[in-house]
Amino acid sequence: MNFFRGVMGGQPAGPQPSGADTIQKLCDRVASSTLLEDRRDAVRALKSLSKKYRMEVGTQAMDHLIHILQTDRSDSEILGYALDTLYNIICSDEEEEPDKDKIKVLIVSLYIHVFWSDLSVYLCLLTALLKSQCAQVQGIILVSPMGVSRLMDLLADSREVIRNDGLLLLQQLTKGNAAIQKIVAFENAFERLLDIITEEGTSDGGIVVEDCLLLLLNLLKNNSSNQNFFKEGSYIQRMKPWFEVGDDNSGWSAQKVTNLHLMLQLVRVMVSPVNSPGATASCQKSMFQCGLLQQLCTILMATGVPADILTETINTVSEVIRGSQVNQDYFASVNAPSNPPRPAIVVLLMSMVNERQPFVLRCAVLYCFQCFLYKNQKGQGEIVATLLPSTIDANSISAGQLLCGGLFSADSLSNWCAAVALGHALQDNLTQKEQLLRVQLATSLGKPPVSLLQQCTNILSQGSKVQTRVGLLMLLCTWMSNCPIAVTHFLHNQENVPFLTAQISENLGEDERLVQGLCALLLGICIYYNDNSLENYTKEKLKQLIEKRIGKENFVEKLGFITKHELYSRAAQKPQPAFSTPEHMLFDHEFTKLVKELEGFITKAVHKSSEEDKKEEEVKKTLEQHDSIVTQYKELIREQDSQINELKEQVSLLSSQKDQMQSAITQQLSQIQQHKDQYNILKLKLGKDSGQSDGGQQVNGLQLEELTLLREELEELRRQHTLLNTQLTDKDKLISSLVSTATYSPAQSVKY
Amino acid sequence: MAYAYLFKYIIIGDTGVGKSCLLLQFTDKRFQPVHDLTIGVEFGARMITIDGKQIKLQIWDTAGQESFRSITRSYYRGAAGALLVYDITRRDTFNHLTTWLEDARQHSNSNMVIMLIGNKSDLESRREVKKEEGEAFAREHGLIFMETSAKTASNVEEAFINTAKEIYEKIQEGVFDINNEANGIKIGPQHAATNSSLAGGQGGQQAGGGCC
Ligand SMILES: Nc1nc2c(ncn2[C@@H]2O[C@H](COP(=O)(O)OP(=O)(O)OP(=O)(O)O)[C@@H](O)[C@H]2O)c(=O)[nH]1
Ligand SMILES: [Mg+2]
Repeated sequence: MNFFRGVMGGQPAGPQPSGADTIQKLCDRVASSTLLEDRRDAVRALKSLSKKYRMEVGTQAMDHLIHILQTDRSDSEILGYALDTLYNIICSDEEEEPDKDKIKVLIVSLYIHVFWSDLSVYLCLLTALLKSQCAQVQGIILVSPMGVSRLMDLLADSREVIRNDGLLLLQQLTKGNAAIQKIVAFENAFERLLDIITEEGTSDGGIVVEDCLLLLLNLLKNNSSNQNFFKEGSYIQRMKPWFEVGDDNSGWSAQKVTNLHLMLQLVRVMVSPVNSPGATASCQKSMFQCGLLQQLCTILMATGVPADILTETINTVSEVIRGSQVNQDYFASVNAPSNPPRPAIVVLLMSMVNERQPFVLRCAVLYCFQCFLYKNQKGQGEIVATLLPSTIDANSISAGQLLCGGLFSADSLSNWCAAVALGHALQDNLTQKEQLLRVQLATSLGKPPVSLLQQCTNILSQGSKVQTRVGLLMLLCTWMSNCPIAVTHFLHNQENVPFLTAQISENLGEDERLVQGLCALLLGICIYYNDNSLENYTKEKLKQLIEKRIGKENFVEKLGFITKHELYSRAAQKPQPAFSTPEHMLFDHEFTKLVKELEGFITKAVHKSSEEDKKEEEVKKTLEQHDSIVTQYKELIREQDSQINELKEQVSLLSSQKDQMQSAITQQLSQIQQHKDQYNILKLKLGKDSGQSDGGQQVNGLQLEELTLLREELEELRRQHTLLNTQLTDKDKLISSLVSTATYSPAQSVKY
Repeated sequence: MAYAYLFKYIIIGDTGVGKSCLLLQFTDKRFQPVHDLTIGVEFGARMITIDGKQIKLQIWDTAGQESFRSITRSYYRGAAGALLVYDITRRDTFNHLTTWLEDARQHSNSNMVIMLIGNKSDLESRREVKKEEGEAFAREHGLIFMETSAKTASNVEEAFINTAKEIYEKIQEGVFDINNEANGIKIGPQHAATNSSLAGGQGGQQAGGGCC
C-alpha cells in the first residue's frame, strides 16, 4: 500500500529542494498552460521524474494528473504519459515486471478518483490500461465477481457516450481471451451489438458501427463455442440486411467501405476453412436458406462497387460455397445481368485472365473458382465439358475457352492461374482426367490439331517464364497422378522423357530449382502410376534411366527442392491463394497436399531395386492367383448350394407324394378288410342256410354267383396292394438316398 | 426455426461427473467415452417441445475443475435453469453438492430452477450413493431430482425437458419477469409483438424463415 502511504497520508520527508521545485514548476505548467504541446511536455517531464521522486510527484502532481486525464483525454499521447506517471508512482522501480496487485491498486485508485466524477474518463483509463497491460488487467477483471458482466451492462447504458466508451473498453477486454469472449457473449452481446448496428443504420452508420463490428470479430474469431452460439441464436439471418446495396453504388464513404469490409470478414469467420467441417457446413446452409449468399452474389454482379469491397465479396462468396453442393449449385446458376446474360463464373474468369485487372482481384477469382470446384464432381464435369469437342458451343464464351486462352496467353500470371484452375477441375476425379485427354487444340492453319496435354509439354519445353512452367508442371502432375492412361499419353511422345531427364540432371541456377523439383515429381508420377503398357517406358526402364542419367540420390535431392522452397509451407497452410506480390504466386494449396502424399511413395519406388520390385510383383501375382482360386471355390460352393436346394425341394415333394400314397394304401386296406368281413358273414350265412332247407339252394345258387364275383374282386385288390407296396418301397429307397446326399453335400463343400 | 421461448441453462458439478457427456447426449445423441476435460465453458443448443410450444434451450457446459470456478461463476446470473450433477459412483462428488448449491444460490437469480442429477446410473455395480440419498438431498433443498446415464441416454431427455417444464410453469404463474433477459429467458420472435418493449426499428421479422 505504498501508494496510499505516499499519496494520501504521508508527509513528504524533507524533499530535496531542486526536485520539489522542478516538480512544482511542472505542475504549474500542467495546470495553467493553454497549449496542449506545453502540457504534454510538462507531463512527460513529470513522468521522467516519477521514478526517482516517487513520493514528491505523487503528492504534488496527483490532482493535476487526474485533471489531465479528464480534460485531455482526446490526446492519447498525454494520456499515456499521465498513466505511466501514475503507474510509476504506484509501482516501485526495483521491480521490472508489474505485478497484479499493483495494477489492481491502480484500477481501484482510478476508480476512487474518477469513477464517481466521470464514468467516461474511468472507462477511457481502463481501456488505456488494458492496452498497455492487457493480460494482467484481463486476469483481474475475469476473477473479480461479476466483473465482465458489469462491464457488459455498459452496452445497455442510455447515455450514448458511455455506451460508446464501453464498446472501446470491451474491444480491448476481449482481445485474445477466449474465457472473457464467452462471458461477454453469454451476457447477450450478440443481441445488443446487432441491435446497435441496426439502430445506427448498418453499413451507413458511423464509427460506432465499426466499433460494434470489431467487437463482434473479437468475439467470434477462433472461438468455436461462440460461433456455435451465434449460429444457434439465428444471428446469421440478421446479417443478411447488411448486404442489401442499391443499384447505384458510386460514392460510398470511407466509413461505409470500412464497415462493409468488417461485415464481410464476419461472414468469413463463420465459414472459414479452418473451422470444423460440420460447423462450417451448417453455417453455409443457413446462409443459403436465409438468402445471405444470394445477397452477396448480387453485390458481385452490381455496378459501381469499390474494387476492394468487390474483391472481399468474391473471397466471402468463395468460402460460403466451398464444399457445399447446394451452395455451389446455386452459384453455378447465377447470371450476370449482361446482354445476353452470362454465367457469373464466366464473367469472373474473364477477370482472372485479364492482365489489366488488379492482382488481388484475380487471386480472389481464382479462389472462388477453386471453392466452386472443391468436392464438386458435378461442377468439375461441367467445366471440363465446355472443352470437349461434342459440347463446345461456338456462339458463346465458355469457361473452358477462357481457361485455354489463359493457359497459352503471353501473360505468365494468366498462365499460372488458368493452369491451377484447370487442375482443380481434375482434383480427385479420374473421369475428368480421362475426359480431358480428348481435348484437341487447333494450332496454326494447315497444321493438324494437337492434344491439350501435348500443347502443355510443348510450351514447357520452349523455356517460358518460371511462373508459367511451374503452373503447367503442377497441372500435369495433378492430371497424371492416379491416372495411368494420362501417363501413357504423356510417355507416348518420345520427346517428353528426355526433356524431363535433361531438366533434372542439369546443374541450373537458383531460379530453376523449383522447376527441376517439379520435373522430378512428374517423372516420379510416370513411374509410380505406370501400367507398363509402353514397351520402352515401363517402370523398370524408367528407373534404369534415372539411375543412368541422373542418379538416384541426385533425383531424390531434386525432388526435395519442392518442399524446401521458401513459399511452399505458406501455401500449405490455408486454401486461399494469398501472395504478397505476383512473383510469389508459385504454389497452389491443393498441390502442396499432392506433393506431401506422393513424395514418400516416389522416393521409395525409385530406391527400390529391380529385385525387390520383382519380388513385389511376384507377391502380387501369388496374391492374385490366390484370389482367383478363392473365387473359383466360392463359385463351386455357390453351385453346390443351389444343387442342395434343388434336391431338398425334390425330397419334400417326394415325401409328400409318399404320404399321399400311404394314405391311399391305408384306405384300400380298410376296404379290403371290409370286403373280407362281408365275405365271412356271407360264408357263415351260407353254411346256416344250407343246413336248414332245400329251398335255400336257389338262394344259395344266387349267392354263389355273388361269391365268385367277390372273390375276383378280392383277388384284384390283392394285386393292387402288392403293386403299391413295391412302389412304396422304391420311393422309400429313393428318399433315403436323397436324404443322404443332402446331408453329405454341405460337409463336402466345407472340405474345400 | 422460430421458437416461443428461449431458456438459458448452465450445467455445473465436480470434474468428471459427466456434464459434457450429458450435453453431448442431449444435443448429438452420442456418448464420449474419454474424459475430455472442459476448459472454461462450452456452448450447445437444442430445440424441444413443451405443451405444443417450441422451446429453444441454450446450454453452457462449465468446467468442474476448481481453477475455473471464478470464470464459471459469471454464468450463474444469466441462467434460468441449472443442472447440478454428481456421480453416483463417487461419494465425494455428492458430498460437494452443498458447496455447489451455496455458490449457485449466491450468484444466480433467486428463481433459477435447479435440477439435481445423479449421473452414471448404468454403473449400478459401482454405486456409492443410494438413490434415496439423492432424493432426500433434493427434497431438503427444494430441487428436482433424477438419476441419469449419459452413456445409455437413460433419463437424459427427461432431465433437460423436466427442467424446462418447471421454468415454463413458473412463467405461467408469473414468477419470472420475462421482459428481463438477465433472467435467462427470452420470448420468441412471434410472441414478441404482444410484448412491446423498447425493441426499436428491428427491420421487421426475418423473411423466409431461417433455419436451425
Ligand atoms: N459409464 C458412464 N460413464 C460416464 C457417464 N457420463 C460420463 N461418463 C464418463 O465420465 C468421464 C467424464 O465425463 P465428462 O462429461 O467429460 O465430465 P465433465 O463433468 O464434463 O468434466 P469436466 O469437464 O472436467 O468438468 C468420461 O470418461 C465419460 O465417458 C455415464 O453416464 N456412464
Ligand atoms: Mg466437461
